[in-house]
Amino acid sequence: MSHQTPLSSSVPQVNCLDLWRAENDRLVRQAKVAQDSDLSLRRQQLAQDSLEGFRGLLHSLLVLETQKQLGPRLEGGLMELWNSVLHVSSLPPELLPALHHLAGLQAALWLSTDRLGDLTLLLQTLNGSQSEASGDLLLLLKTWNPPAKASDDPLTLQDAQGLRDVLLTASAFRQGLQELITGSLPRALSSLYEAASGLCPRPVLVQVYTALGTCLRKMGSPQRALLYLVAALKGESICGPPLLEASRLYRQLGNTVAELESLELLVEALNVIPSSEVPHFLIEVELLLPRPDPASPLHCGTLSQVKYLLASRCLQMGRAEDAVEHYLDLLALLLDGSEPKFSPPTCPPGPCMPEVFLEAAAALIQAGRAQDALTVCEELLSRTSSLLPKMPQPWKDARKGTKESPQCPSWVSATYLLQGQAWVQLGDQKQAISEFSRCLELLFRATPKDKEQGPASNCEQGYTSDVELQQLRAAALISRGLEWGASGQDTKALQDFLLSVQVYPGNGDASFHLLQTLKRLDRRDEATALWQRLEAQTKLPQENATWSLPLYLETCLSWIRPPDREALLEEFGTSLQEPCDL
Amino acid sequence: MAGLAPRVDYLAGFSFPVGGLAAGKPRVLRLGAEILLSTGRELVYVFDSGGRQLTAVYRFPGQVWHLEVLALRRMLFVLCAWSGVYCLSLDQAGRSVSQSERDEEDSEPPAPVIPVDPDACVLPDATLRAFTVLDGALVTLAQGTAQWKLQLFECPGPGQARPLGKTGEVELSASTPPAGGPGKPEAPRFLPVLCCVSPPGCGASHGLQRGPRGFVLEGALFGLLFGMDATLLESPVVLCGLPDGQLCCVILKTLVTCSSAPGDPKALVRTLHHLEEPVIFIGALRTEPLPEDGEDTRCDCLVALGHRGRTLAVKASRDGAGSPVPELREYCLPGPVLCAACGRGGRVYHSTPTSLCLVDLARGSAPWLGEEADVPAAGLGGLPSLLCPANLSICSVVTLTVSPRPPGGGTELLALSARGRLLTCHLEQSPEAPWPSRGTTMDTGRKIKDLLCSISTISERASSLRRAVEQRDQALTRLNEALNVSCALLSRREGPRPISCTTTTAWGRRELRDVLTATCLLESSGGPRLGRGWVLCVQVLPGARAPDPEAAGPAMTYTVPVDQLGPGGRREVTLALGPGEDGVLDLPVTVCCALFCSLQEALGGALAPSGSFGDASRDEDRPDTLPGPGGICLPLSEHTVDLLQGLRFPGLAVPPAQASGPSGPAPDPVDTFLEACCRPAGPEPPRATYLPPSMAAITVSAELLRAAWGGRFSGTSLSCATLQWLLAENASVDAVRARALSSIEGVAPDGTDVRLTVHEVAVADVCPTGPLQAAEIQVQSCSLASVCGVHGAVLRRMQRVVEEQAARGSSPPDLRMQHLHQTQASHEALLREVRMLRDQLCEEDGAGSRAATATERLLRVYRQLRSPGLLLL
Repeated sequence: MSHQTPLSSSVPQVNCLDLWRAENDRLVRQAKVAQDSDLSLRRQQLAQDSLEGFRGLLHSLLVLETQKQLGPRLEGGLMELWNSVLHVSSLPPELLPALHHLAGLQAALWLSTDRLGDLTLLLQTLNGSQSEASGDLLLLLKTWNPPAKASDDPLTLQDAQGLRDVLLTASAFRQGLQELITGSLPRALSSLYEAASGLCPRPVLVQVYTALGTCLRKMGSPQRALLYLVAALKGESICGPPLLEASRLYRQLGNTVAELESLELLVEALNVIPSSEVPHFLIEVELLLPRPDPASPLHCGTLSQVKYLLASRCLQMGRAEDAVEHYLDLLALLLDGSEPKFSPPTCPPGPCMPEVFLEAAAALIQAGRAQDALTVCEELLSRTSSLLPKMPQPWKDARKGTKESPQCPSWVSATYLLQGQAWVQLGDQKQAISEFSRCLELLFRATPKDKEQGPASNCEQGYTSDVELQQLRAAALISRGLEWGASGQDTKALQDFLLSVQVYPGNGDASFHLLQTLKRLDRRDEATALWQRLEAQTKLPQENATWSLPLYLETCLSWIRPPDREALLEEFGTSLQEPCDL
Repeated sequence: MAGLAPRVDYLAGFSFPVGGLAAGKPRVLRLGAEILLSTGRELVYVFDSGGRQLTAVYRFPGQVWHLEVLALRRMLFVLCAWSGVYCLSLDQAGRSVSQSERDEEDSEPPAPVIPVDPDACVLPDATLRAFTVLDGALVTLAQGTAQWKLQLFECPGPGQARPLGKTGEVELSASTPPAGGPGKPEAPRFLPVLCCVSPPGCGASHGLQRGPRGFVLEGALFGLLFGMDATLLESPVVLCGLPDGQLCCVILKTLVTCSSAPGDPKALVRTLHHLEEPVIFIGALRTEPLPEDGEDTRCDCLVALGHRGRTLAVKASRDGAGSPVPELREYCLPGPVLCAACGRGGRVYHSTPTSLCLVDLARGSAPWLGEEADVPAAGLGGLPSLLCPANLSICSVVTLTVSPRPPGGGTELLALSARGRLLTCHLEQSPEAPWPSRGTTMDTGRKIKDLLCSISTISERASSLRRAVEQRDQALTRLNEALNVSCALLSRREGPRPISCTTTTAWGRRELRDVLTATCLLESSGGPRLGRGWVLCVQVLPGARAPDPEAAGPAMTYTVPVDQLGPGGRREVTLALGPGEDGVLDLPVTVCCALFCSLQEALGGALAPSGSFGDASRDEDRPDTLPGPGGICLPLSEHTVDLLQGLRFPGLAVPPAQASGPSGPAPDPVDTFLEACCRPAGPEPPRATYLPPSMAAITVSAELLRAAWGGRFSGTSLSCATLQWLLAENASVDAVRARALSSIEGVAPDGTDVRLTVHEVAVADVCPTGPLQAAEIQVQSCSLASVCGVHGAVLRRMQRVVEEQAARGSSPPDLRMQHLHQTQASHEALLREVRMLRDQLCEEDGAGSRAATATERLLRVYRQLRSPGLLLL
């Protein structure tokens, strides 16, 4: 009988529950002070103290002890426990506020772990008979009316009513996002409206407006979408997702200027140092939202990803000067590393680093800065030289005199191709032809999709596709052929063009260059046969099977495209007819 | 091997716990002439190696798990257990200390202990397990509930007032840290290891510089390990060695923290290898001589060591086609590895409890063994196929660091031993001439000091080795003994065993209560000796048969160490069987005796790392190397204690005992009074009031009994002999024999009277040859329970007799079958009636007058059933 605890001792003042409660109330007050104070280490420490205190309080609860013992059995059976609690016929009314409060916490937990079925069931039980039939989570949350707590209850940081509002907004937003991603747009719209009408902090509201913009754009109402995006951008701090969404919208509208402008603004917005995360004291909407994955409209990428998007869009839209500027910015950002916190580069599925270099070089050539393009290419090769196979070339000392030919990644040959093009622009035919030859040497050794060697990465080794390899070969052959032609060696040019038609019959450009060379060499019969074939092809519906080629290759192909195919065919046709008439 | 002995210099001693310092948490660092040191406790010492004195001691609020220092900014970073990362400027603290020291310059000033202000905590996080500092960033590894989390922060400065800006974060998805319970978990046995490596171009112009523990890798190796993107970005890479053996890498420049674009662990974290044992060390070194400038220290080989000595080395080489390929080799070095360090010239130093070893990844063996040792020559520039560790004759170093550029060339190691000794260890460049042949007096003095120092190190080592050998010898002796004993006991199935155990029972008085005690006597009649490690296990099980695991009821096991039992030796163990406090003694019980030899006890510390390295490390290793709780168990005897042994016969007692009362010594009158008061006021058990004494009888043929007795009891009448035989194991058997009793009155443990009577009877109608001589054993008591108990005990004896006779193949005498049939028929009729009455009782639910008559009838029928008694022939 000596084991009596102070719980039932005769002094009523020192009741365990009272002690617990006094400590709880003290901690709540402390946390509220911490919440209101300025952001500082002190605040963080104060908050951590409070949290530790609460944790200690929880541990002192006998309830938790028993729960710990239940352990794994609890996991699946939480709902059953709730059921058994809520279906007790005579629930003491003074327990109801606490029970609803606890249910709110349970709901928050289930919402964040995506156990919506259990959540719906719980709310149905809580609401009682009035809305038994409804399985609509939002409706259930709206009808749930947790009783207010009594004035003499222990202090709390967040009451059940507030918890319910947070849950309502968060689940509406979650639901809306989900429907948006799966494509049920009208339902997404109504859910998002619901979320926007709730009380939520500004950052969340911006996200909701962005999602509304995406939804309306997909539903074909760009003007209304624009209104929401403008509303999202109205706040004091500009954030990324609405700007990215705006750029998508303008792209859909075909307004390139506005699209690129919004991307530029996005770059600026991401340049702002993100303030360190404020620790959340309470359960807030942000905590209940899923982390955005790339499929989400709220995923706006990192600074370098956006910078890359801007640069490549500029290059695609033919704004070479701007593209050059942005590519060089991006490379500086990535390589300089003076501000490492902004330097996460391209994550898959973006292009790999060598491709960024190549696109920058292509943009430089496009902008007429061939010398700079050569520098970029050399930088790329020098940085990776230790990883490239030793070439059996006279100027490099091959340590092993083996006859085996090493495999090179595709971008190495592409670098030679671009170097050649740079020399073309600089007017050095000899250098250009030598680079093209080097490129071709590598390309004809390569086999597609050879990914056995080396560390696996998106572009470590091998070629992404057959088509890419063929297109590269054709481009290099045409480029060299053009240079032979320019230096008057038409037979050599002819050889290259013939070969390029063979390696990639689908490339019409090669045939046109071949036709021109045949014409120049005055090989009329062959030219006529080819012309007839081309004529027949042009009459067929154009099969514009656009393979998604790397941007640098697309750009390079645009340089060697014959200026006006139709005119060429017509001119040749008339020239054919003339001698016949004579 | 003279060249192997390094020049060891003892610098200082630090306090260490009993059993020595445990490896894993102590750290030692060199910062110019200063040495920074932590022993795994709350203190960080700053030791001036020039002045050979402590200049400062910092006290942190928790155990210090890791130290790093930024040399240029003279900033100290400390990871404090369960608290976070602290940052101090060494200059500020140093100034204040030197000022305070100025007062007492003459005597050696005890270094002041500076308590570290909680505000110096730049990163409060209780889950941090490791960190590393780069010039521009702080990399931390935190243990989440299910995952390790790597975080990148901007590099803090001292007096940081705002929370550190987080610049990157990723979860190491493929690994699960040991699950921690709620609240404060125990200190982890192994901490994860972080190591920062950079590509060659990542120079001083960049923000992310290599930190104090960073290595610059050759381009080819870096690219092969971490990929093209990391190479192009020239990004530092953090390697994480986890306690589960995983070795993974994170490219720092790819880390993001943006909440709108969280990093994908699958893309950001790459597992390089799995050592399958806790990673103790990650480092890099240069194995090939540098072609031109000696300044450039690009490492061409990455090394990782596991706790058990598994070692991974990776180098870049080129395949036949000239493409670069990684060359990866695993070696097995002697473990357990306490700590390791990479030195120049392809050397890896690693410490085990018994020695500090050196391996050379450039040549495979220690440099001075290169010519003699039979090591297969490695391919050109490749990794050696085998590593031969060379012993440096220093034991139990718990942390180790290689000084960057010691004055006078060679290599200088800075080590902290488990005994808290801070040592420097110089390895000469040319081992053939480690000491100058001629020297000045100063040189001689220094040489003598060095020699003394190395003697003390060697003697410490020698004593530890000797102890290890002794322990091993003892363990082997004990194992041998254990095997001998097992053979002797197990091989001899028939005849007396060399070691036997007999159990006897007697009533005694203990703590004012009469208790039945069992005495187990362990006797060795020659044969092997029982040494240390043997225990006698006595198990008391309820019920008659022991080896039935299903038997309900709690079994009690007593273990008594048998310390040295030679031939002729005896050991006696007496245990109380009951009655306990509640006054109940449920007989029968079975007492089983067995000898048990615990292997763990027998082998002792012999399998654990021995030597001066203390208990801490031994405990650490026990689960892996020792056989655990296993051992050898040899059953000796099994003895059933039943009511016949538990009966007391106050009537037989000698006069003085008789004077003291009918049931042993007189109970304390206070006890009696209290007992009477405490007893519930309900009616006495019904037997006392109206039931006649119960009785049971067994009739056994004399032939069967005599056959069982063999030659014993000749010249005694059948009834007396039977009674003596029944009470053979009772302490009062001598009195029974002396008085030639054939009937006796005794007291059962619960205090009820029991009468045992043996009559000599002639059974007619059974055998065709005539009446059969038999003994009728009657058990009579007013307590039904006592009758049942004694009856059961008698029956068990009979059963044993019958079984023995059956085994001997003796046939029962001829029987008149008709008589048997008659008996059977009448019994069946009675059984039917019993069944009917029982059903009736069940229906009536035990109430009413009809039930009372039914009960009475039932008792009568039972009596009738028993009345001819059991007849055993």
